[in-house]
Amino acid sequence: MSDITTWICTGCALLCEDIQVYTTNGQIEKVEHACIMGKSRLTGCKHTAKPMIDHNDVTVDKAISQAANILKNAHNPVLYGWGNSTSQAQIAGIELARVLNAVIDSTSSFCQGITINEILQGQIPSCTLEEVREKADVILYWGADPMSSHPRHLSRYSYFPRGDMRQHGYEEDRKAIAIDVRQSRTAKICKDMFYRIPPGSDLEFMKALSDALDGKVPKLSFDMDIKRLLELATLLKKCEFGVIFAGLGLVYSIKEDIHILSGLISKLNELSDFSLIPMVGHFNMRGFNHNLFNETGYIHKVKFTDKGPVSGVEYSIIEQLKGNADAILVIGSDPLASLPGALSKRMEDIPLILIDPCENLTTRAADVTIPCIASGIEEGGTAYRMDGEIIELSPFIQSKGMSDEMIIQRIIKEIN
Amino acid sequence: MAVDIGRFIKAPEYNITIITYRDVFQAAVCEEDRFGSEYQDLSAVIILDAAQMKHMGITEGSNVRLTSKHGSVVVKTRASPQQEQKNIGFMVNSPWSNALVSVDISDGFPGYKHIEVTIAVSKEEITSQR
Repeated sequence: MSDITTWICTGCALLCEDIQVYTTNGQIEKVEHACIMGKSRLTGCKHTAKPMIDHNDVTVDKAISQAANILKNAHNPVLYGWGNSTSQAQIAGIELARVLNAVIDSTSSFCQGITINEILQGQIPSCTLEEVREKADVILYWGADPMSSHPRHLSRYSYFPRGDMRQHGYEEDRKAIAIDVRQSRTAKICKDMFYRIPPGSDLEFMKALSDALDGKVPKLSFDMDIKRLLELATLLKKCEFGVIFAGLGLVYSIKEDIHILSGLISKLNELSDFSLIPMVGHFNMRGFNHNLFNETGYIHKVKFTDKGPVSGVEYSIIEQLKGNADAILVIGSDPLASLPGALSKRMEDIPLILIDPCENLTTRAADVTIPCIASGIEEGGTAYRMDGEIIELSPFIQSKGMSDEMIIQRIIKEIN
Repeated sequence: MAVDIGRFIKAPEYNITIITYRDVFQAAVCEEDRFGSEYQDLSAVIILDAAQMKHMGITEGSNVRLTSKHGSVVVKTRASPQQEQKNIGFMVNSPWSNALVSVDISDGFPGYKHIEVTIAVSKEEITSQR
């Protein structure tokens, strides 16, 4: 007879809490409600990581000792990853960075960090996904394609559900808009409310939209019917509760000009009620930003010094790998696959420690590999959902291995 | 003996910009087996406007070499089912697209979303993961 467990999915930062997992003698037999990404996360990887030093099998204890030695002897160690770790592991990692006077950074430094920072600094209003489900009548996916990145986003929260104030659902009560450079899966659902813009023209579109909201005639240097832009402005003005889901397409197009987005949202809030939610990818990437902010006042790109923590672009993973880093600890990430290939050589040239449940491309370059159990499946803790809500994870498999938090704590102990 | 003169003639190169995106099916396969052939099949692909492919002399499913200032890879081509903007190609985020990405930056943001490359028909095999 199967045991049925309700699992909080760690496949992405939606952290869906309605997944039903059927197990017999600890073996997963059936999974209900999960998307393809969630199922894959649950099934696990084909190639699990093994404790290794210089690609030779060792005990976990030896691998941890070697990692501690490398970090202790480095002048400028960098601790990177963290998006697939629980908040408890992240807080342990921040402590390790403090002990080492190390740089600590996550994928957020070239991802949603700038939007999360604006929210934490009070520059951009945000809301919860439940508020979106119950109240939102205008949903704007900007440079975002949740149908591909967060497959249950539209069905659970942002478009298809009947909400308290949206009982007529998507057919009558909600308008979904996509602004993107390509007709993504999400854009197809938005149908005639898809605004295709040329790559890198988000700022121009934003300024034109702002003019339209002010009642001015907007101008665009690219081919788009101005009437459509005016229709969009009218829709945004009339909306009762609007949400912008900001994707990486938008983030990469505006980068340091994030204040222009903040300005647009301020303007929208003079006319209506508007919030922004960043389309965070990894299940606890946002948690890293919150936890580091709580500890240091900065969300990423932090260097601990004898005078306290400092932050700046020079402490981003990219700049560190281009320059100062002389050892790197990677946790729950695969930078050889996900960072620009030009940095791969640099990662191979410095001592590299990898903590991960799975073998990945980075394993092949790692001097030390330490396997950990899977956060949220084999180990509990908390995580921040993409909207900043704290969610208690629900592990349901008993494992003998060490969690990433335990490994970090052991490294701290050995260094001290 | 017949001589394949074609192999001495350099295939014409065209300048395009690659925009990267995410794909749920590729992400799921990556989670399970990032060294498998399915992951390569879903990753080492560039999607182009069908009319532009014809103009460039690229046939659906053929291999092309993409070269930027930062790297070079061989990937398979696929025609977009819809009309796309001119001189734009789309690739899923993967080690293949990342091999082309610039780190000549000062803001911490690698050029993931805007990769300038040349594209040329290639008879070489698809670049393997390291």
